Amino acid sequence: MADALVNLTIDDQPVSVPKGTLVIEAAKQVGVLVPHYCYHPGLPIAGVCRMCLVEIEKAPKLQVACSTPVAEGMVVHTQTAPAKSGRQGVLELLLINHPLDCPICDQAGECELQDFTFQEGRPATRYTPDFPKRFNPVEDFGPDVLYVPNRCILCTRCVRFMEDVAKEPVLNVSERGDRAFIGMHPAARLDHPWAGNVVDLCPVGSLLSKDFLHRARAWELDKTASICTGCSQGCNVTLDTRQGVVVRVRPRVHLGVNRYFMCDHGRANYRWMNRGDRLDAPLVRDPDGHRAVDWDEALARVTRVLEGASGSAVVLASPRASTEALYLARSLVARFAWTGAYELVMGEEAPLAGVPDLALRAERAPNSTGADLLGYTADYAAALAAAERAAVVLVLDAPQVVLRPAGALLYLGTIPLEDPETRARAEALLPVANVAEEEGTFVNRDGRVQRYFQAKSAPGMTQPAWWVLSALGAALGGDEIGSAADAFAALAREVAPFEGLSYARLGYGGELVARAVPA
Amino acid sequence: MGYPHTPHPRETLVLSKHFGEPEARTYRGWVKRGGYEGLKRALAMPPAAVVDEVKNSGLRGRGGAGFPTGLKWSFMPKERTKPHYLCVNADESEPGTFKDREIIRWTPHALLEGTLIAMHAIQADTAYIYIRGEFAEPQAILEQALAEARAAGVLGRFQIHVHRGAGAYICGEETALMNSLEGKRGVPRIKPPFPAAQGVFGMPTTINNVETLAAVPPIIVNGAKWYQAMCLSSPKSVGTKLFSVCGHVQKPGVYEVTLGFPLKDLIFELAGGMRSGRTLKACIPGGSSVPMLDRDESERCIMDYEGCATLGTMLGSGGVIVFDDSADMVYQVMRLARFYAHESCAQCTQCREGTAWTTRILERMLAGQGKPDDLDLLLDLSENMTGKTICVLSDSCAAPVVSAIKKFRGEFEAYLAGRSALVA
Amino acid sequence: MSTATHDASEPVFRGDTLKRLQEILARYPTKAAALLPALWLVQQARGWIAPETMVEVAGLLGLTPAHVQGVVTFYTMYHQHPVGRHFVQICTTSPCNICGAEDVVKAFLEQTGARELGATSPDGTWTITEVECLGACGFATPVLIDDELVENVTPERVAALVRKYS
Repeated sequence: MADALVNLTIDDQPVSVPKGTLVIEAAKQVGVLVPHYCYHPGLPIAGVCRMCLVEIEKAPKLQVACSTPVAEGMVVHTQTAPAKSGRQGVLELLLINHPLDCPICDQAGECELQDFTFQEGRPATRYTPDFPKRFNPVEDFGPDVLYVPNRCILCTRCVRFMEDVAKEPVLNVSERGDRAFIGMHPAARLDHPWAGNVVDLCPVGSLLSKDFLHRARAWELDKTASICTGCSQGCNVTLDTRQGVVVRVRPRVHLGVNRYFMCDHGRANYRWMNRGDRLDAPLVRDPDGHRAVDWDEALARVTRVLEGASGSAVVLASPRASTEALYLARSLVARFAWTGAYELVMGEEAPLAGVPDLALRAERAPNSTGADLLGYTADYAAALAAAERAAVVLVLDAPQVVLRPAGALLYLGTIPLEDPETRARAEALLPVANVAEEEGTFVNRDGRVQRYFQAKSAPGMTQPAWWVLSALGAALGGDEIGSAADAFAALAREVAPFEGLSYARLGYGGELVARAVPA
Repeated sequence: MGYPHTPHPRETLVLSKHFGEPEARTYRGWVKRGGYEGLKRALAMPPAAVVDEVKNSGLRGRGGAGFPTGLKWSFMPKERTKPHYLCVNADESEPGTFKDREIIRWTPHALLEGTLIAMHAIQADTAYIYIRGEFAEPQAILEQALAEARAAGVLGRFQIHVHRGAGAYICGEETALMNSLEGKRGVPRIKPPFPAAQGVFGMPTTINNVETLAAVPPIIVNGAKWYQAMCLSSPKSVGTKLFSVCGHVQKPGVYEVTLGFPLKDLIFELAGGMRSGRTLKACIPGGSSVPMLDRDESERCIMDYEGCATLGTMLGSGGVIVFDDSADMVYQVMRLARFYAHESCAQCTQCREGTAWTTRILERMLAGQGKPDDLDLLLDLSENMTGKTICVLSDSCAAPVVSAIKKFRGEFEAYLAGRSALVA
Repeated sequence: MSTATHDASEPVFRGDTLKRLQEILARYPTKAAALLPALWLVQQARGWIAPETMVEVAGLLGLTPAHVQGVVTFYTMYHQHPVGRHFVQICTTSPCNICGAEDVVKAFLEQTGARELGATSPDGTWTITEVECLGACGFATPVLIDDELVENVTPERVAALVRKYS
């Protein structure tokens, strides 16, 4: 039963929203962004910054849109002189003690104080040089967070996040009046597993990530939608790249998965995407060692090996392998009696207490569910044992595997096999893309299939794993597959839980599979 | 001027009748003076009847807002499905105001009796008397009286606890008081929700000022009509008020008069008028948060809610601050701005930054370094600080600034011109 | 009271003080509401509230040290560092200001040797502060010496007061 709808007018546009909707949210629905700082849909309402002042007919004073619920027939004006003047007043007061740090502040280019000042602030200050600005030194809050008190606008988003979402109230507001600042008891550290979110939440450059400090300017960054590979939660993220290097990972909003947040483990988990010790070119094994070749020759070699083999096959996969790659690998070895497994690393679970069903999951793998649905298991030890005797061992980006296989060893990976003896036995070492260099899908622990997109070019002659595997499949008589979308389409046709899904349908929000556990 | 002293013949003594009598502090002494009769009668009435009687009396909140007390009580849920609370606001911190202190020091039982009647009326079993931390002596007297009342069995099922504040003017704001009581920083809450729906500990709560509650027992004993009849001007302002007169008067002190009393008489007759050789320059009639009056306005002002409003100011807490011609209005406005800057809780941008900036501009002006645009800047800041924040501390800083610039502009301009006509 | 000699890491809430806290806790439906009274007990015992004691109080009341620190730093009457044996608060807000309060402040600074507002006198006896309205405006200038309010203080009376409390 739908909530009763309330009809109101915002900037002369009619809008109908459920009862209880805040004016600031109703405004978004008609494309009106009311400038604000302390308000955030993922945090309890504070109503302290006073930035979101709007004029509401019949109300004697300006109202703050963030804590005013809609009413039937309400008429809201955000652009009238009193409203703009009120907001301009707030901006001026926020800036009197705010240092002119833009040239050295990480937030520049993605700073809401810059944005709204540019949009509706005063052109010049009336405060300096007459009065000195308040000064407090930078504070190290914890593992990744720096606090620059001079830039703080006391919106208290960080305090409210730690208190109400992380449920570890380790930040406070200390002192009062214009002496106030964000404080932390000396015995405490900001080391909660989800604490990094305060950096995202901070509208200005007051809370900063040490990892990202001075690494790039916001306007230099290309932003690409991706999925975190840190665990099976499947948090939606944005990969920020600068000149082809991933420099930052930030959460992307998904109300059904991670809401507005991601954990620090995932946040820090990106440097491997940039590593330089990659397989540059396809390598094939000759009697006197490996030789770099082109793809045609490499694929031809592997095809011959596969044609000449019979018996059992084992696929040893990375749990970061895409659903498409896992499916195509399975298709490739379908002619054999095959088993497949992935190595699942477990860690400590770290929930975000204030959000239901959100945690850094114990399974540190983004696609274990996808692998399960495709018939792979987590019994890696058994698979390793079987691999020693199999006719064909296909290793999919698991560089740490140590094998002395009786049969043919084929390796697709981002970096070379680490164990020299295992490497020496590989028939071919084929360079494949990592998650930042291709598009694909992962299935999270809830069974949600989510797309990730290509954020940077793959180095050297690297190709996506789906391309390599489908090329081999085609050479052995299978269908030609020209894109990741087509690979997924093929998967959806064959594997029951994925029935009816497609890249178009998945979009940015993903879809749940028909059932989470394979038949 | 301390107690005991002879009351002025033009005072109407209801609340202050026994100020100065040490025996009035004791339970026995209070009963001898007719105390706890009101409580007895109230307990024999249904709560709703008590609410109606206070409503009909026309009693308005004496802390500053002047909200009709009976109406405030009637906002509490009629059916008690969860605990109701009464908070007594004894945080008296409005500059110029010192009347609650006298009530607590001299007639603590009047406050306790009023508290108990209110608790009965709003169906609250527990009351907290939030008393400012600096009132150590009044608190000791109050705790003693409370112990005696408890021992005499007067409290019955009601529980009254004294809760000591720790130095924050803003805790006199009712929602900040509740936060402070809950063990938090004393910052005001956004409304709605209102206290009667969701107050302290999330429960229905009423907050009343000390003077308001002290007026309740006489109303119950003498009846609403009796209280209504005490009126000298506007029929919407009835009963007596304790005015604390301070500053440049011969006899500063607390004076109790019927509402509608002329300010001129309060200053010149009751408080003894100006010091020798001095003339009245300005008066703030209701505590520093209300606009100030110049001499002419002061001499015309009628001391009730409507009378003050007519002159663009407010009765407020009734803290009458008198400035004679020796006062440097620019300096005093700076000092008031500094008060608000110290007391700002820091939540709202306009208050946190605006009170401090206002103070700095005035300090600079006093140092002879004012700029020609300073007055416009101050007025512009005051405009931004008015009507846009969670509570009215910000507006309260603007009030003296705006009214002083309007009525004493010459003094400000003298500073801007690089000289001052007055010695501070 | 001598405030600087206690070991701040020693618990405050033992024996009678703990009993007092338990009595106080019974007055409120939440433990957190006992925070301001608990901090008063700390200040009565130690003269000031150390970061270690904030941890102790937080533990007893189910709060975080950050919460306690936020409260201690909000209220001006809680001392965040040791102060003189006598803590003096002199109101200088306008009603008292126009009655000569600032001269009373000067007199106290001179007579006690404290020299500067907020600083403690060399002999550790006095800390003089200017505060906002004490709610005794008709008795200008009111001076709060520890918990005792002295009314109608003039510069001339200060020397005798300082001697009396020294």
